[in-house]
Amino acid sequence: MNYTFDFSVLLGNFGPLFEGLQTTLLLALGANVLGLTFGFVVCLMAMASLWFLRLPAKLFIEFFRCTPVLIQVVWFFYCVPILFNVFFDPITMGILALGLNLIAFNAEAYRAGIQAVPKEHHDACVALGLGPWNKTVHVIFPQALRNAIPVLMTNGITILQQSALVAIVAVADLMYAGKMLATDTYRPLEVFTAVAVIYFLMSLPISQVVTFLERRQDASVER
Amino acid sequence: MNTEENINEQKAENAIKHQGFLGSKPLVEFKGVTKRFGDTCVMDEMDLQMREDDRLVIIGPSGSGKSTLLRVLMGLEPIDKGEIHFDSKPYVSVDSKGRTQTDLATRSKVGMVFQHYTLFPHLSVLGNMTLSPVKVHGMGRSEAEDRAREYLGRLGMEDKLNSYPGKLSGGQKQRVAIARALMLEPKLMLFDEVTSALDPEMVAEIEKVMLDLAKQKMAMMIVTHDMYFAKKIATESVFIAGGKVVEKCDPEIMFNEPKEERTKDFLNKVLHLK
Repeated sequence: MNYTFDFSVLLGNFGPLFEGLQTTLLLALGANVLGLTFGFVVCLMAMASLWFLRLPAKLFIEFFRCTPVLIQVVWFFYCVPILFNVFFDPITMGILALGLNLIAFNAEAYRAGIQAVPKEHHDACVALGLGPWNKTVHVIFPQALRNAIPVLMTNGITILQQSALVAIVAVADLMYAGKMLATDTYRPLEVFTAVAVIYFLMSLPISQVVTFLERRQDASVER
Repeated sequence: MNTEENINEQKAENAIKHQGFLGSKPLVEFKGVTKRFGDTCVMDEMDLQMREDDRLVIIGPSGSGKSTLLRVLMGLEPIDKGEIHFDSKPYVSVDSKGRTQTDLATRSKVGMVFQHYTLFPHLSVLGNMTLSPVKVHGMGRSEAEDRAREYLGRLGMEDKLNSYPGKLSGGQKQRVAIARALMLEPKLMLFDEVTSALDPEMVAEIEKVMLDLAKQKMAMMIVTHDMYFAKKIATESVFIAGGKVVEKCDPEIMFNEPKEERTKDFLNKVLHLK
């Protein structure tokens, strides 16, 4: 190896990285708030029996599942302002772009959670005289949510990683701050290593929680 | 065994009553009920009666529609033709457009226990038992909890009140499922192969619960593969095959000297007789 790593360049430069990190966390948090709430709404629409609710929701989900996030972000930042003549500040735009993607994926996670509730439980609800409302609120949704939580959390960390993509449209997130620092210091390898470590350390605890939850759910598989 | 003696007495009593059709009213009457799954006809203009002090055991080859019969009676499956009366009142019927109409007030008098327990895993034993009484039948929470405690006590499970289903054994889960159905004070209990998913050593504990219920004169319809238990608990037995009632008689007669060839064949197979 001919390259000599010199991590000392980072020493005085944690300030900009920290600011970038704050933006990244804001993006991920905002996108997750959108994804968790509206994802549920879109899921309900996609499962509705009325076609005018179901069809738009299905289209929405398939669009975001079947196109690269990178293109979604670019498209959102450049096309939406031209088409609809709206532009918010870059961070809000970033949250919206990532949030829409997460809404689609979380809607699927919720749907899978609902469908994983055994058919026998629907029968048991009839036998107990529970009507559609009571069945949904007290039996199906609580179980569906428990089923969906690991996937929702995984989607949540995925969007944290993918938030790095908004750096290409000049949102000053962690990735963007890293890029600037790399150019300033001529030390891209050290800087991007540090950036990767920061992303890793933010995601690791959450992925550990997911592993724990999945193990616990496997242990209590219940009909 | 006290329970068993008691049950044999009851059986004798019922046999006398039924000969003269005295004392007991019909509880369930299937009148020409037809049920198809696609091209397969699982109930073919079936007629079947059950009296209010009967414990009717339904036996038959697999796929003969035993479970479907119970599911239809629970209002879980639509029917294609015919009607069902419960307590001498119309319960399930088919309207002119072919849709099945079920009287919900009558349905609440029927309770059902399934093969796979179907306890709700996110609710404690108490939560499982009080959900329907509180949310559907408007019972006060404390009253429902008192009743749950009483039923669990009878089943020897008062210490499991706050446990979650995941922590219970199969037998305990099935006991809770039975108690949950009893909470609504049904006039008829349906048992759909309730011991089939259990480990052998837990079968006896569930059968004991059912024999205790029999002692309290609970009307029951039971689908089971356990012919010995069937003979022990039943006051009436019915053999169905090909969507029809082939034979319906006293279990003593059914299991010892069945009249119909198909019943004989079936019993020879399942009882491993030569």
